[in-house]
Amino acid sequence: MTIIEPVESQTKYTGTRVRRTEDPRLLAGRGQYIDDVTVPKMIEAAVLRSPLAHARITNIDVSRARAHPGVFDVLTGQDLATVAGQQPVIWFPIPEQRIAKTHALAVDQVRWVGQAVAAVVAVDRYVAEDALELIDIDYEPLPVVADLDAALAPDAPKLYDDWPDNVSGSLTYTAGDPDAAFASADLVVSASFRHGRAFGCPLEPRGCIVNWDTFAGSLDVWLSTQSPNLARDLLAEVFGIPVHKIRVRTPNLGGGFGNKFDFYGEEVIAAVLSRRTGRPVKLIEDRAESFVATSHSRDQRLDFEMALRSDGTILGLRGVSYGVLGGAFGTVGSGPPWASVLTCMGPYKIPNMDVTVKAVMTNRSPYGSYRGWGVPKGNIVHERLIELAARKLGMDRTEIRRKNFPAPEEFPFFTGVAFTYDSGRYADCLDLATSKIDELGWRERQARARAEGRSVGIGYSFHVEPSAYGPSRILNLVGLAHSGFDEVTVRMDSIGKVTIYSGQINMGQGTHTIYAQLAADTLGIPMDDVVVITGDTDSCPYTGYGTGGSRAAPLGGAAILRAGERLRAKILRIAAELLEASPEDLQIQDGQISVKGTTGRSVSTRDVGDAAYRRLLNRLPEGETPTLEEVDVFDPPNMATSYGCTALLVEVDRETGTVSLLDCLQAHDCGTVINPMLVDGQLAGGLAQALGGALLEELVYDEEGQLKTASFMDYLLPTAMEIPPFHFYHQETPAPDIPGGIKGVGEAGPIAGVSLVGSAIDDALSDLGVAVTRFPCTPPRLLELIREAQSRKEGSA
Amino acid sequence: MSDKLTVSMTINGHTYTADCEPRLTLADFIRHGCGLTGTHLGCEQGVCGACTIIVDGRTVRACLVLAVQADGSTITTVEGLARGDELNPLQEAFWANHGLQCGFCTPGMLMSATEFLKANPEPTAEEVRECLSGNLCRCTGYDSIVKSVLDAAQKLRA
Amino acid sequence: MKPPPVKYARAGDVQEAIALLTEHGSDAKVLAGGQSLIPLMNFRLARPSILIDINRVRELDYVREDNGTLAIGAMTRQRDVETSSVAAASVPLLPEVLRHVGHITNRNRGTVGGSLAHADPAAELPALVTGLGGELVVQGPNGVRTIPAEDFFMSTFTTALEPDEVLIGVRLPRLPGGTGVAVEELARRHGDFAIVAAMAAVHLAPDRSVDLVRLAVSGVDSVPVRLHAAEDALTGGRPSAEAIEAAAATVADAIHPADDVHAPASYRRDMAQLLVKRVAKAALERSETKS
Repeated sequence: MTIIEPVESQTKYTGTRVRRTEDPRLLAGRGQYIDDVTVPKMIEAAVLRSPLAHARITNIDVSRARAHPGVFDVLTGQDLATVAGQQPVIWFPIPEQRIAKTHALAVDQVRWVGQAVAAVVAVDRYVAEDALELIDIDYEPLPVVADLDAALAPDAPKLYDDWPDNVSGSLTYTAGDPDAAFASADLVVSASFRHGRAFGCPLEPRGCIVNWDTFAGSLDVWLSTQSPNLARDLLAEVFGIPVHKIRVRTPNLGGGFGNKFDFYGEEVIAAVLSRRTGRPVKLIEDRAESFVATSHSRDQRLDFEMALRSDGTILGLRGVSYGVLGGAFGTVGSGPPWASVLTCMGPYKIPNMDVTVKAVMTNRSPYGSYRGWGVPKGNIVHERLIELAARKLGMDRTEIRRKNFPAPEEFPFFTGVAFTYDSGRYADCLDLATSKIDELGWRERQARARAEGRSVGIGYSFHVEPSAYGPSRILNLVGLAHSGFDEVTVRMDSIGKVTIYSGQINMGQGTHTIYAQLAADTLGIPMDDVVVITGDTDSCPYTGYGTGGSRAAPLGGAAILRAGERLRAKILRIAAELLEASPEDLQIQDGQISVKGTTGRSVSTRDVGDAAYRRLLNRLPEGETPTLEEVDVFDPPNMATSYGCTALLVEVDRETGTVSLLDCLQAHDCGTVINPMLVDGQLAGGLAQALGGALLEELVYDEEGQLKTASFMDYLLPTAMEIPPFHFYHQETPAPDIPGGIKGVGEAGPIAGVSLVGSAIDDALSDLGVAVTRFPCTPPRLLELIREAQSRKEGSA
Repeated sequence: MSDKLTVSMTINGHTYTADCEPRLTLADFIRHGCGLTGTHLGCEQGVCGACTIIVDGRTVRACLVLAVQADGSTITTVEGLARGDELNPLQEAFWANHGLQCGFCTPGMLMSATEFLKANPEPTAEEVRECLSGNLCRCTGYDSIVKSVLDAAQKLRA
Repeated sequence: MKPPPVKYARAGDVQEAIALLTEHGSDAKVLAGGQSLIPLMNFRLARPSILIDINRVRELDYVREDNGTLAIGAMTRQRDVETSSVAAASVPLLPEVLRHVGHITNRNRGTVGGSLAHADPAAELPALVTGLGGELVVQGPNGVRTIPAEDFFMSTFTTALEPDEVLIGVRLPRLPGGTGVAVEELARRHGDFAIVAAMAAVHLAPDRSVDLVRLAVSGVDSVPVRLHAAEDALTGGRPSAEAIEAAAATVADAIHPADDVHAPASYRRDMAQLLVKRVAKAALERSETKS
């Protein structure tokens, strides 16, 4: 185990429910989201999208649109391709994989409904949309590959003529001797799990404003992104502009959830339109577009089987994860379905494995990042299979889990596939959850309901959340064309106040608050004295990857602690000069520096700032550099793996197949908890998304590749009426490889929550032996399962 | 082209007058015509509730009203809630209870809750959930918003 | 999602609205609460040449009872009906059903007439008016006429309203005191259009036999459906589980559900039958307690 030196800090703020520094202006309506930003001389664009899932473009006539009053320019794929490269891909986890790339506007062929084919820029969005209706395009329809089965059929039409089939690639990981394990097993349970298409669906759609100054050779970009540094690098790649000529600024984000991690064609389209018109161009995705143009995710089939001994010991796991990709690669390629395979063993010791990811192209929207990033489907595999096994073996669902956990002393624990979990007290966490189920009286509620003939069930999900993505070289090794470190600058100014500059993004998770908490504690100053700046590549440092992979708290936090520690030492050295004392004897409290254990003279950080910036004579120690600034780059030696045990109380209406969520709790361990209120917020919000995905949300395609759920009337986000109350309980096992001991927490809910619903439904219907394997579990689908089980039961009776 | 019409309305105590096309939605008028960008657009189809404002005493979806229809109206948007530079008790309660994360749905939540609390000073959690069911939030999981509204109700009663 | 260009005229009264409709013909569209029309325009699925705004036609904003009939003006906001003590006393099913129509903010703006004229077969209000044997009052250049609900709703989004006519109100027979009412809605989420909605009103005679039954369903046909056969099966006898079963057994023949992304037709058919049982039972229980 790598030992990182502990950082000295007080904990006045860390661990407390500090109110967020971000909130007052957001509550007052003073936030500034992308569509609130206005740049002088700005004009507005809109995109025309393909109505067909697969077709050749035989002709585009933009003359009527171009002539429309108020229109500045009309752009086609041919035009765009003369100045822009193809959309970049950064993840290549499968060796020798075929990579399907495309331009931001289709050049000659469309491969999904909603693919951008032309764009208009006009005086305002109303006129731009008017002009879209005047663009005439002739399509020659091609056979559609609407779903996974169609894509894998022996005589399937091909999306890419120069490929042998529709499979981009596949990769198998093996551990131990899986065949022998399955041959010797007492029990093998298997299932084909399906998760429908879904997406992060931030309430604010995506958008950008791009100003391409061809005379300065610069690109000035406002972008609703979680990854401004990545966007800047990729814009440079696409256009061949030097990185230092590109500035990316990020306003308030109205949610990101991974969807705003990815790099989209719209920022490229807006840039080209700006270059051609000499005007800043705003391009806002509207809600209707969001359903086809923002990255889709989750769409997977997972055919898996688990081998066990009769005592419940897991011997082996094998199976295939089919990633149902779209018509071209998104920024992260086949990353998420691959991550499902990496995490399909979850928190369990499984010595023998044979697990495969297979990435398959279909005529659907491109696949991309969504909070959880493949791990929710890994969780479905291990949590659903272990419960099926418990049922067959007649074991308690918690006992079989406990039996297969690695013990705390077995960490760092290599899973057998790729990840090494840093630390964990899994059994304690499970006990914490079950004790709270008792405390909350769920078992009595269940018993009472059952006595009344109602079907109430308790579900469990134990999850692991690999967070703090780094380390950079490991990420490179497994196929990421990007890094995983984080850089921060901590600067105290001439009056002793502190500004933190970070490359991470604040998208609602409260990064500014927790960074200020950590900095204030490390430096010994009031939180009010700290300001956090993010979202501007001109002033903020570089972070590898972006704000995704639950990185912001552990990596940014560690870098702040390390930089803060060094800055604190310098502050003390300067204060020592002012106090004529030794730095070792000094302490800082609330911004006042004094000799420990005395009530004598003190100086403030204001005095130190003055000595470091303005009146140096006789005050700044000889040999000490002026200014008070420290930069830290933290590249973690390992990831930090959070985990938790979630439980859910549901009621199933056996006559309708509807599921009501009654109550939900989660026992969780993300190492050091910086702000329990914010951690709970992350857990609750993530769970709500998973519950939506488990019951309501699905991007449904028909056999022609048409999306049937392209509005908020049909793509169903859960409301306050569907989501239950939440209860959260924390245990803190510090991350051994991260200064400060912080683990990421943003993806816990999405990972845990889908299998959780299946478990709870199964329990509510335990007398019938229903096993939920397909999500979302809609009322018609569940009713069908119930009726099948009922007729099975009657048949055997 | 449709001819422009002159509209005039009072928003947060200030009168705004402008010529606008009949098709201009009230939401776009408020955001771009009046510069009050606290009213957000999350769907433009009347489902998400982010653009909820109070027109003549009642909440409406600003994306489903045309600016010309609001001629002569008195409107409150989220910018009209704070008292000077002090948050009002409802806003304070959202702050204290972590009732917001990204803040995009928040203006709509605040407006819906403002109308609701006026008519229901002692609501139950279930009533708050029903009231807020027309406002989508993708960040919080709602529980903290429900707590915020209940907390505000208690403070307003005191 | 910006609406296409459109002209706008504000009608001060019904006569003016009719005159504008007559002048502009079938390209004109009456704008009531806008909760359905404006989204359709934002999606550019509706593109009227002119909107005739009747939101300031004050004469169409009323809820009153006369001679055993509850009369509601077309421009009465749904929320005002939901909270009206007159409506609740006369037709207690109304507030119960309205709670399922969208959300409070939609009902603040959405009107009774707008919902009826839009004629979404999954909507709740058309089913209520149909089920209770209500009448739609419409006015055109040639005067006022009254259309029974079952004749008014012709198909999905299609009514018997002529292009130059305006829906001005709806009349519902008052339910006798002691009537038990119930509504059940199977929707994916609270406030959504129903996969299936069922509603019932039942009254018992002094001898405790059923002397009035009204049953309706929405979401299972191109129009809202009043379940006459089911009503007949329940009427006259004493309330019993068998009678409810017999009533429910008639439902499948009375409806023509279609598949959609939320549920297959077979599911809707089964659920219509189930919900009819549930609302009939609940309404009977409530009527008994009131008698």
